[in-house]
Amino acid sequence: MILKLLIKEILHRKLNSVLSLLAIITAVTLFVSFFTMSEASKRETIRLTRDMGFNLRIIPKETDMNQFWLTGYSDLTMPEEYVDKFFLYENFSYAHLTATLHKKVTWRNREVILTGISPEIEPSGIEKTSMIFSIEPGTVYIGFEIANSFGITTGDELDIFNKSFTVARILSETGSSDDIRIYTSLIDVQEMVGKRGEINEIKALNCLCLTSDEINPIEILRNQLNEVLPDAKVIINQTIAVARERQRMMVEKYIVFILTFVVIVCAIWIAALAIINTRERQRETGILRAVGYRIGKIAVLFLGKALLLGLVGGIFGYFIGTGLASLIGPEIFKITANTIKPVYSLLIWSVIVAPVFTAFSTLIPASLAVTRDPALILMEE
Amino acid sequence: MVQLDSVTKVYQKKHSSVTALNEFDLQVKKGEFVVVKGPSGSGKTTLLLAIGGMLRPTSGIVTVNGNDIYDLSEKKRAKFRAENIGFVFQLFHLLPYLNVYENILLPDGVAANRAGLTEVKEILDRLRLTDRAYHKPGELSVGERQRTAIARALLNGPDILLADEPTGNLDSENAAQVMDYFAGFHNNGGTVIVVTHGNEAEQYADRTIYLNNQLL
Ligand SMILES: Nc1ncnc2c1ncn2[C@@H]1O[C@H](COP(=O)(O)OP(=O)(O)OP(=O)(O)O)[C@@H](O)[C@H]1O
Ligand SMILES: [Mg+2]
Repeated sequence: MILKLLIKEILHRKLNSVLSLLAIITAVTLFVSFFTMSEASKRETIRLTRDMGFNLRIIPKETDMNQFWLTGYSDLTMPEEYVDKFFLYENFSYAHLTATLHKKVTWRNREVILTGISPEIEPSGIEKTSMIFSIEPGTVYIGFEIANSFGITTGDELDIFNKSFTVARILSETGSSDDIRIYTSLIDVQEMVGKRGEINEIKALNCLCLTSDEINPIEILRNQLNEVLPDAKVIINQTIAVARERQRMMVEKYIVFILTFVVIVCAIWIAALAIINTRERQRETGILRAVGYRIGKIAVLFLGKALLLGLVGGIFGYFIGTGLASLIGPEIFKITANTIKPVYSLLIWSVIVAPVFTAFSTLIPASLAVTRDPALILMEE
Repeated sequence: MVQLDSVTKVYQKKHSSVTALNEFDLQVKKGEFVVVKGPSGSGKTTLLLAIGGMLRPTSGIVTVNGNDIYDLSEKKRAKFRAENIGFVFQLFHLLPYLNVYENILLPDGVAANRAGLTEVKEILDRLRLTDRAYHKPGELSVGERQRTAIARALLNGPDILLADEPTGNLDSENAAQVMDYFAGFHNNGGTVIVVTHGNEAEQYADRTIYLNNQLL
C-alpha cells in the first residue's frame, strides 16, 4: 500500500520528481565520470611525465658517490663498449646519448677539467637539439674562466699535453665548474690521459619509456638497465617527473573541491524540492493521519520517495557518468584512452550512496512535515 | 460512547492565546445523532478533532468507547482512529494522485477490519460512484468528491462518524443526499456528530448542541 502510494505520488507530481531526479543524476554523473577518468588521468600524467623526459647518467658501479657529487664526475672508468650495449637496449628512446671522459689535470699551472665528448649517437626519429656539443678531434672548447685568465680567443692554437688544438669556441660564463673545463673529443682525451677505450660516464638526455605502462616505469627501467649493464650504476634525474606528479595531485584536489561544491549544491537543491514537495503534501499528511496512518508510516512514505528517487538517480547517473567518461575521456586523455573502462564497483556505490544522500537531504523537511500537528493542517484552508 | 470531561483547548501563539474550548463537558451516547452548531470561531472544528483523536486538548479527558484516547500511544491512537472513527471534512480531503476507488480504500491499509471487494462495490454503488471509480479527485464534481470522502469514512464500518460542515460546499440537493447517507449510517446503529450551519440535519438529529465563543 505504502509503495503504491509512493509511486503514484511520484508520478502525480512529475515536475518535482523529475527535478529531484535531475539533481541526483547530476551529482552521481559527475562523481562517476570523475572517478572513471581519474585512473586514466593518473596514467596519462605518468606518460606525459615520461614524455617530458628524464635524464640518465650511467657511471661505473664502484664509483664513490660522495666523490662523484663533489667533483661532478666519477673517478673510475668503464669500457666504451657500454655505449653500444646501451644503444642496443631498445626499451626507451632518448634525444641525446653521449659518452664522456673527465679528468682533472694541471695545465699551465692551473687545475682544469679535461672533458672528452664522444660523437653524439643520434637515434633515428628523435629531433636533434644541440644540448651537448659534439666536438671535432683536434679542436677544443674553452671554459669561460680559463679563456679569461689566459686571454685565449677563438682560433688560437693551443698545446695541451703535447697535442696541438685549435680553439673552436669560447664558452660563455656558466657560473659552474664548466667554466674551468676544456672540452675536446673523447678520443683526444683518451689519448692524452692514456685511457684508450675508456669512459667514465654515459649521459642520456630526455629519455622516454616506450613499453612500460606501469605505475613506476622508472624503477622498472632501472632494473632493466642493471641487467644490460651489470657493471654500471644508473642515476635518474626525476625532478621533472615529480613536479608533474605534484601538479596532477593539485589538479585532483581542485576537482575534489569542485565536486564537493557540486554535491552540496545538489543537496540543497534536493532539500529545496523536498520542502516544496512536503508543503504541498501537508494536507496529505493530515488526511493520512485522519484515516489512521501513524507518523512512522507517513515518514516511510516521504523517505521512501527519497530512497526510490535516489536509487533511480543513482543507476541513471552511473550509466550516464560512465558513458560520458568513455565518450569525453578519450578526447582528453589521448594516450591512455584505452584505460578508460567502466568501473563496476562504482555502480554499487551509486546505488547505495545516492539513495542515502537523497534521504538525508529530505530528512529535515520531511520530519518537519510529518511531525506538524495534522489537525492544524486540516483546519487551514 | 463519547465523553468529554472538562476539555479545554488553548491555541498558543507567540504573543496571544486563543481558548477554543473552555472546560467543555459533553456526552454522546452510542447511536446518537448529534448536530453541533455555533458561530464561526466557536470551536466546532476543534471539538470534532479532539473527539477524533487528532488534537490533544490542553486539559481534560476525551473518552471514546471507553478509551481515554489521548492516553493511548500515537500508534494505538492511529489504529483506534482507523478502526472506530470516520472523518468527513468540509473540503473533502482526498489524495489528488489516487482515484476514487483507491481513495476509498486508503484506511484499508491500516485498519484491521478490512473491507472486502463486495463491500467496496456496495459502498461505491450506494454513493453512486461506481462509474467514477477510476477517476481522480481533480476530475470529479464537488458532490462526487464529498461522496467519495463519505464512502472512505464509512468503508471500514466505524462506530462514530465525525463530519465538519460536510455540506458546506454543496448545493441543497447534494446536501440532502449527504444527510441521507448519514441517516442511513445512524439507522444501522452508528453514532454521528456533525457540525453544520444549515438545517438539513435537523430532521435526523436526536439533539443539537450550541457552542458559544465565550473567549476568555
Ligand atoms: N491553529 C490555530 N492557532 C491559533 N488559533 C486557532 C487555530 N485553530 C483555530 N484557532 C482559533 O480557535 C478558535 C476556534 O476555532 P475552530 O476552527 O474550532 O472554530 P469553528 O467553530 O470551527 O469555526 P468555523 O465555523 O469558522 O469553522 C477560533 O477563534 C480560531 O481562530
Ligand atoms: Mg470549523
